[in-house]
Amino acid sequence: MSSTTTNALRVRTRPKVGLLFIAPFAVLFLFVLIIPIGYSAYISLFQNKLIGGNAFVGLDNYIKLFNDPQFYDGAIRVVVFTAIQVPIMLLSAIALALAIDSLRLHGTKFFRVIVFLPYAIPAIVSTLMWGFMLGIRYGLIGSLNEAAGTSFDPFAPETTMISIGVMVTWGFTGYNMLIFYAALRAVPRELYEAAAIDGANEFHIVRYIKLPALRGSLVVTVIFSIIGTFQLFNEPNILATLVSNSGITSYYTPNLYAYNLAFTGSQQGYAAALAIVMALFTIAIAYVVQIKGMKNVLNK
Amino acid sequence: MKKRILAAAVATVATLVALTGCTGSSDAPSSAGVPTDKPITLKVWSWDGTVKEAVPGFEKLYPNITVDVINAGSSTDEYTALDNAIQAGSGVPDIAMFEYFSLPLFAIPGKLTDLSQFGAEDIASDYVDAAWGNVTIDGKPYALPSDYGPAALFYNQAVLAEAGVTAPPATWDEFYEAAKKVRALGGDHYITNDSADIFLLLSLIWEGGGRPFTVDGSNVTIDFTDAGTTRAVEYWQKMLDEDLVNTKVSGWSDDWNRGLNEGTIATQIIGSWFTSTLPERAPDAAGDFRIAPLPQWEAGEASGSENGGSAMAIPADAKNKEAAYAFLEYFTHGDGLQPRIDAGAFVPKLSNLDDEEFLATTNEFFGDQKYNEVLAESSKNVATGWQYPPFFGWARTSYEDVSAPLYNSGKGTLADVLETWKQRSIEYGNEQGFTVE
Amino acid sequence: MSSTSSTLARPKKLYTLSNPRKSTTLTLLTGLFALYCLLPMVWLVINATKSQQDFVSSFGLAFGDGFALWDNVVQVFTFQEGIFARWLLNTVLYVVVGALVSTFLAALGGYALAKHDFIGKRVFLLVVLGSISVPGIALAIPQFLLFAQLGITNTPWAILIPSFINPFGLYLMWVFTAQAVPDGLIEAARIDGAGEFRIFRQIAFPLLAPATVTVLLFSFVSIWNNYFLPLIMLKDPAWYPLTIGINQWNKLGSTAGNGELIQNLVITASLLTIIPLVIAFLSLQRYWQSGLALGAIKD
Repeated sequence: MSSTTTNALRVRTRPKVGLLFIAPFAVLFLFVLIIPIGYSAYISLFQNKLIGGNAFVGLDNYIKLFNDPQFYDGAIRVVVFTAIQVPIMLLSAIALALAIDSLRLHGTKFFRVIVFLPYAIPAIVSTLMWGFMLGIRYGLIGSLNEAAGTSFDPFAPETTMISIGVMVTWGFTGYNMLIFYAALRAVPRELYEAAAIDGANEFHIVRYIKLPALRGSLVVTVIFSIIGTFQLFNEPNILATLVSNSGITSYYTPNLYAYNLAFTGSQQGYAAALAIVMALFTIAIAYVVQIKGMKNVLNK
Repeated sequence: MKKRILAAAVATVATLVALTGCTGSSDAPSSAGVPTDKPITLKVWSWDGTVKEAVPGFEKLYPNITVDVINAGSSTDEYTALDNAIQAGSGVPDIAMFEYFSLPLFAIPGKLTDLSQFGAEDIASDYVDAAWGNVTIDGKPYALPSDYGPAALFYNQAVLAEAGVTAPPATWDEFYEAAKKVRALGGDHYITNDSADIFLLLSLIWEGGGRPFTVDGSNVTIDFTDAGTTRAVEYWQKMLDEDLVNTKVSGWSDDWNRGLNEGTIATQIIGSWFTSTLPERAPDAAGDFRIAPLPQWEAGEASGSENGGSAMAIPADAKNKEAAYAFLEYFTHGDGLQPRIDAGAFVPKLSNLDDEEFLATTNEFFGDQKYNEVLAESSKNVATGWQYPPFFGWARTSYEDVSAPLYNSGKGTLADVLETWKQRSIEYGNEQGFTVE
Repeated sequence: MSSTSSTLARPKKLYTLSNPRKSTTLTLLTGLFALYCLLPMVWLVINATKSQQDFVSSFGLAFGDGFALWDNVVQVFTFQEGIFARWLLNTVLYVVVGALVSTFLAALGGYALAKHDFIGKRVFLLVVLGSISVPGIALAIPQFLLFAQLGITNTPWAILIPSFINPFGLYLMWVFTAQAVPDGLIEAARIDGAGEFRIFRQIAFPLLAPATVTVLLFSFVSIWNNYFLPLIMLKDPAWYPLTIGINQWNKLGSTAGNGELIQNLVITASLLTIIPLVIAFLSLQRYWQSGLALGAIKD
């Protein structure tokens, strides 16, 4: 469709109708997201003391946060995790999407379903399963160690993050694969035929037709993956009680830190400041990634 | 069609909400005793499963009162929920469960009801001294003890015998010698495990007379250098240095269950309540475990300490305080106690600890040992005068953080860890409005 | 890439772009990943057949001495006065109501964004999409305090109301409406004198069916798996969804005190919890893909 006809048509619609249609969503959105975020910003300026109650402290919580080594410890951990895990997961997802789209697999449909299936498993269940399975006393690693005479421990302080990476990759590769796969399916098949007639082999088709077709999906998946890993919480939270000596501290990830500050230290103002800083940081990164994609979307 | 489903679903929600909406009673309690003329619903938050055993008897006594026992989460989860409810001003239970160390956190800021208005002091002498000390804050009773955890030594007799230890160690020196023998069995065999378990360390300090925390109102003093504390810290440091304690396995983890089950963890220095859960954790070790008093610092002493235990209190915002106290007294002290004891509760009430039937309790798992004899004696031996700082819930988490380098990779010493912990606690405590030094 | 002898035996002309030669190497490589995906579920199924005693003492990927699956299932449904069934019903309630309402609101809003102009549309979109990156923790505390003021914590509303908002669903609906509902059709209906809501209901909505199913499915999964919000909002186990219930059971055994160790029930309950999801996945899987195609394609 051309933009001129679209605009011409839209001129005739009554703006009120649009507002009316969006109103239910907007009102609830205001209620469950905007107001709480505003309130969060508000309480981040206060300190709730066990003795003496609430006191306005201005930006003290933010200043304290930027001088808090525990905050940096967690923040750096998730940034490093994101930088390693997201590429591995997305590359696997692209490879799987290409493999499934190539129709060269025995049982294409089977693989498509199986790879996506972990997405349906709640984090609590998946962490329990992996936590038990990777435990050194039994499960896979235990027997591998026994067979090889090694003593690899997936939940030592140095390796816990890798194990969490294994869990997160397990849960979300299939989801990303499906997004890529859907984008590949949307490429007109005639393009491949035309390319084949022009003498292109399969590698060329992948390189010059399929991979470029994934660019849009890549923006979406990168953003969602970054948002997801920055909010890492369920896995370390559940693992902390499940396995021994995992090195999981109360400030292991920023989200875990915020949760512990708010709920074991009753430092809700400080927790709110931390959450707001992380939200701004995430939005900034998402925005940088998104900036091009957003433009296209909005100009439509 | 979809719309109809939606409408039906919304109607369901509405009905459910309406159903829950009519349970509470908002009338102000009458001043004279327990009101008997109007229906009252008492909400009790407890993760101690035995409390509900006392409900039928109580409801028979007070036909107008319905008791609703809810598991609102264990420990920190419950305290958080309670704090949230107090802040929100709605959903505050009439009775809530607390570990002893968490009472000051709620009592000092005035979130609990002073029970002296109901004459709670009159029953003080019915309890083990140390237990009553736990519920007394600034001289006032804020809770009634409902469960007790005197520290004791749970030992796997078969493993110790295999290592050449024929009698349970009676002193810490003997414990040390035994540890070396168990370690000599090779492999993963350790006499015990410890991965940043603050309660284990504190129970050693407590038993030997160390009193690192002093609390007076909102003034808190922390000092890890008194003689009793130093002795315990140095001793445990020696155990760690000589690799006599498995620091890779933390309590309540699955590795721990397996270690207890297969015998690579030979003993536990832990609270009496461990009797109820050890059998399911170490089913293969049935018949091998026995219980002995906590080893002593000097031969012939009879001192003891606590590891765990809990009390029940009435929040300051509770609606039916008279009725709440009536039930509280009933299930922690009165006729409601026996059904709870029958269900496995361990209550620091003297008459209970001397009860012949109670003392005669045996369990095949413990080789038919009359283990309550040991535990009752340990309860009475618990040294008095111990105090927890009001922010101990926070401090416990903080201890796990600061001790992680020591336990994970052997960096630093226990004394360093305690010093860092003290500094963090001082910082946090002062920030929270206490005066800590 | 190599091919197996059986495929070689087939006439060569059958291999076209839409039916290429199968590759065993590629299948094996993908199979490795599939194994990674399946392994934990195999573990779960195996361990759901063990009694607590077998679970503690037997190897993780081997069966125990006895076959206790039915026993475990019965215990799951009878433990704590059969509260598991209640949790299951709660979850169904949250999922059904939450998914239907959120999908309807997303469809309505997405349609408005795609087909109507109104003041502040771009800002609105930016805010909605930006909100996806706000950590759940940042919202949970103030949401809790707000809901507590209204007296709806510890009621189903505390779970339902936040689940009505699905920003990603709105985005999908918007993109899909822009593509699938021709402006001309709307214009024609207007000329015929149809009301705006009738146009949405009778003309646009039927065209949105594939995206609707996708958004429904996503809501279904995200509400079924919801963990953090109910963890904070609900204290009465009578309103717990399955995820929180399982977590509580698991914690029973790992909290010092009089807890009961019921790992066999935790594992069996986990298995029972994922079965409905797995069924939904297997039976509706084509909708996932069709709907995701919309959100993923640029322009």
